[in-house]
Amino acid sequence: MDTSNPDNRGEFFDQFLDDYYAECDEHLISIRRSLVVLEDEVDTRTVDRAVLDNLFRSFHTLKGISGMVGLAAAEQLAHHLESYLRELREGTVVLSGPGFAAVLAGVSQLEGVINARRNDQSIPSIGEIVQRLEAVSADQSSVEISTTSEPEKPANDAVTATRWQIEFTPTAELAERGVNVNSVRARLQEMGQLIQAKPVVKGAGEIAFEFIVATQAGEAALADLEADGLTFQPVPIETTPRVKDSQPVPTIAPASVVRVDLDRLDELMRIIGELVISRTRLEEHLKELKPVAPPAVWRSLQETSLGMSRQLRDLRESVMRVRMVQIGEIFERMTFVVRDLARESGKKIIVQFSGGETEIDKFLVERMMDPFMHLVRNAVSHGLETVAEREAQGKRSEGLLSLSAMTAGEMIVIKIADDGRGIDRNRVRERARARGLSNGNADLDDAALLDLICTPGFSTRDEADRESGRGVGMDVVKKATEDLGGRISLATKTGEGTTFTIELPLTLAIAAALIVSVNGQRFAVPQSAVREVLEVQSASTKVLENNEIIPYRGKVLPLLRLARVFEMNYQRAEKFHVLVLGEETNAVGLAVDRILGQREIVVRAIKDPLAQSQGIAGATELGDQRVVLILDITALRQLAVTSRH
Amino acid sequence: MPDEPKTNNILVVDDSPTMRRMVITSLGSLRSVKSTQAGSGLEAIERLAIEPVDLMVLDLNMPDMHGMEVIDFVRKHQAYRNIPIVVLTTKSEESSRRDALAAGANRYLTKPFDPRQLADVVSSLLNAS
Repeated sequence: MDTSNPDNRGEFFDQFLDDYYAECDEHLISIRRSLVVLEDEVDTRTVDRAVLDNLFRSFHTLKGISGMVGLAAAEQLAHHLESYLRELREGTVVLSGPGFAAVLAGVSQLEGVINARRNDQSIPSIGEIVQRLEAVSADQSSVEISTTSEPEKPANDAVTATRWQIEFTPTAELAERGVNVNSVRARLQEMGQLIQAKPVVKGAGEIAFEFIVATQAGEAALADLEADGLTFQPVPIETTPRVKDSQPVPTIAPASVVRVDLDRLDELMRIIGELVISRTRLEEHLKELKPVAPPAVWRSLQETSLGMSRQLRDLRESVMRVRMVQIGEIFERMTFVVRDLARESGKKIIVQFSGGETEIDKFLVERMMDPFMHLVRNAVSHGLETVAEREAQGKRSEGLLSLSAMTAGEMIVIKIADDGRGIDRNRVRERARARGLSNGNADLDDAALLDLICTPGFSTRDEADRESGRGVGMDVVKKATEDLGGRISLATKTGEGTTFTIELPLTLAIAAALIVSVNGQRFAVPQSAVREVLEVQSASTKVLENNEIIPYRGKVLPLLRLARVFEMNYQRAEKFHVLVLGEETNAVGLAVDRILGQREIVVRAIKDPLAQSQGIAGATELGDQRVVLILDITALRQLAVTSRH
Repeated sequence: MPDEPKTNNILVVDDSPTMRRMVITSLGSLRSVKSTQAGSGLEAIERLAIEPVDLMVLDLNMPDMHGMEVIDFVRKHQAYRNIPIVVLTTKSEESSRRDALAAGANRYLTKPFDPRQLADVVSSLLNAS
C-alpha cells in the first residue's frame, strides 16, 4: 500500500479497525472491573495503587490506538480520563464522589463514541463530559493535600510467608517449550505475592530475571521450578524490598492469547460445514455400495466413515469453542449500567450474578447486547422501587437484580430478575385498549402480557424514558431473540418482581434438526424448537372455528398444516405426526406426514429475495445433493396465531 | 554486485497488540527486515537474550517495566549497547523527549505516527549502523 501520500494514512490504518475494536473491548472490560474496586475507595484517601495504574494504562493505550485510527473524540476523552487518573496517582487530587461519577460518565461516553464509529453512526459530542473531567481536576487541585500517597502498610502475609529470590535464565529452547518470563511470572504469582521482577546481567553477559516472591509454599513446591532451569534461595528479611500494598487486579489478555477475526472463524465453520455435507454424501454412497461390495471391505469403509464422523464432530466443537466467550463479560457490563442508573435515580440496588462462566457464541453476544441492556434498564427504572417505596412495603431497602445463566442441552438460559413492583397488568391492559392493540377484557396471563408489551408501538410510560428509550423497545428484544432461534418468556407478580427468561441456542450455523416430510417434500425443523413429537390418528382431530385441533395435556393444541401454509396438495392419511412447538401455554402443533430422522444440518440463509418465503429460514443439503428447506418456526407460529383470529 | 544484505531483526515493544501490528505493517515495506514483538519491557529483554536484535521500536508507558528502564538496561550492558532504539510513544511533552534521548534513545517519535516516517527513520538507523 502506498503510504507516501498523507491522504492515504487513514486508509492504511483502516485495516486495523477490527483489532482496534477488539482491543477497546478488552480495555473497557478491564476498566469496568477496576472501577468496581475503586468505587469503594471514594473519599477514603487509600486508593489502591495497582488499580489506578491499571486504569491509567488502559486509558493511555486507548488514547494511543484511538489516535492511530483517527477517532479524535475517543482519543480526547481517553486523554482527559488519563490526565485525571494521573493526578489521582500522583496524589494531587483525592478521589471524590463527583470525580468518580465523572470517570464513570467519561467511560460510558468513550464506549458510546467507539460504538458509534463501529456502527457508522454519528459520533456523540464529548464537550460536556470533558468539562466535567476538567472540573474535577481543576476544582480539587487547589486544595492542599498533606499526604500525597498512602502510608506503606506492612504485608499482611509477613508472619507466615517466606520470601524467596528466584532466578530465571531465558533460552530459545525454554521459550520453545513455553517457558518464558511471562509463564514463570504467572507461576510465581500463583504461589504467592510477587514483590519484584527485574532483569539482571550475569558475569558472562547473559541475561537473567530476578524475582522475589513471598509465599507460604514450601521448598518442595519451589523445587518443581528447577526442572525449567530456575534457581532459588531464601531472601534475608532485612534486605527485603518494601511491599506495595496492592490487591490482584484483573489484567488484560495474557501473551498466550491470540486474537482472531470472527470472519475467519466463520470461514472455518463454513469449510467444516461443507465437510459435514460431504461426509453425509459419503454415507449415502456407502449405503448404495453395501449390496455389491465384499462385506469385509464394506465394513472397514463403514468404520472409517464413522471414525471420520467423530473426528468431524471434534473438529467442529473445537472451532466452536474458540468462538465462545463467557457470558460474565456481559454481566459485568450490566453492573456498570446499573450503577450508573442507580446513582441517577437514587435507588439502591444489589446486583447478583450466577453462571457467569457459562459460554456463549461471540456472535450471539454481540446481537443480544442491546436487548439485554434494555431489559436491565427496564428492571432498574421501572421494576425496582425507590428506597422509600420499598421500605413502606416492608421490603429490604436495596432492590435485588439478579442475572443468571445456565446451559440446558443445546440452549443457554439467561434470566434477568428483579424483586421490584412487578408489571402492572391493569395498566398494560388499559394502554393496549387505548392503542387498539386488544379488546382488553380477557385476563392477561404472563404469556399474553409479554405479547402485548412486545407489540411494536407499545410503551408503558408516556414520557420517553431516557434510560429505557434508547432505540430498543421490547418488540426489538423479542425480535432479536427470535431471529437468533431463541425464545423469551416472562413471569411477573405484583409486588414481588419480574423475571425475563431468554433461551438462546449456544451456537449457530450447525444445528440438530428433525427431517420431516410433507406430501413427499422434505423439510428440516430445528430441534431446539421442538418440545415433543406426537403420533396422531386422523380420527382424533376436531375442527373448531375453521381450525384443526387435537387434545393435548388436558387442553387443546391448534394444528398447523405445513401443506396448507405452502399451498401444496395433501391427502389425509390415517395417521400423521405432530411436532409440538413453543411453550406449553401457547403451543402450536405442526402436522407432518412422516418423521424421516434426525440430522445435523448446516444452516444457510437464503439471501436471494426472490427465493425468500415466509416460514422458511434457510436451506441445507442432506448429502444426496438435494436441497432441504429449513422451517422458520417463529414465523410459522406467528402464522398459526394470525390465522386463529 | 554488492553482497546480499543481511536480514535485520526489529524488535517491536508495545503493550497494545493493535499498535504492534500497526508498527510491523508500517515496516513491512522495508527490504531485508523481519520483526519480532514483545508486549512488555520484561518480554523485550527476554527477546534480547534469545535472539539477535538489530533495532528496537519501543513504547514508554508499559506495565512491569517502563520503556525508560528498558533504555537504561540496554545502554548499560556491553552486549546490547549499540542497538539503535526508536521510542514511539503517546507522550508528546518536551521533557519526556529530552529524558528519553538523554538516556540513550536514538530517535523519539510520537503517536499517532506516520507509517512512512517510521519506516524512513528505521531504515536510516539501520543503514547507519
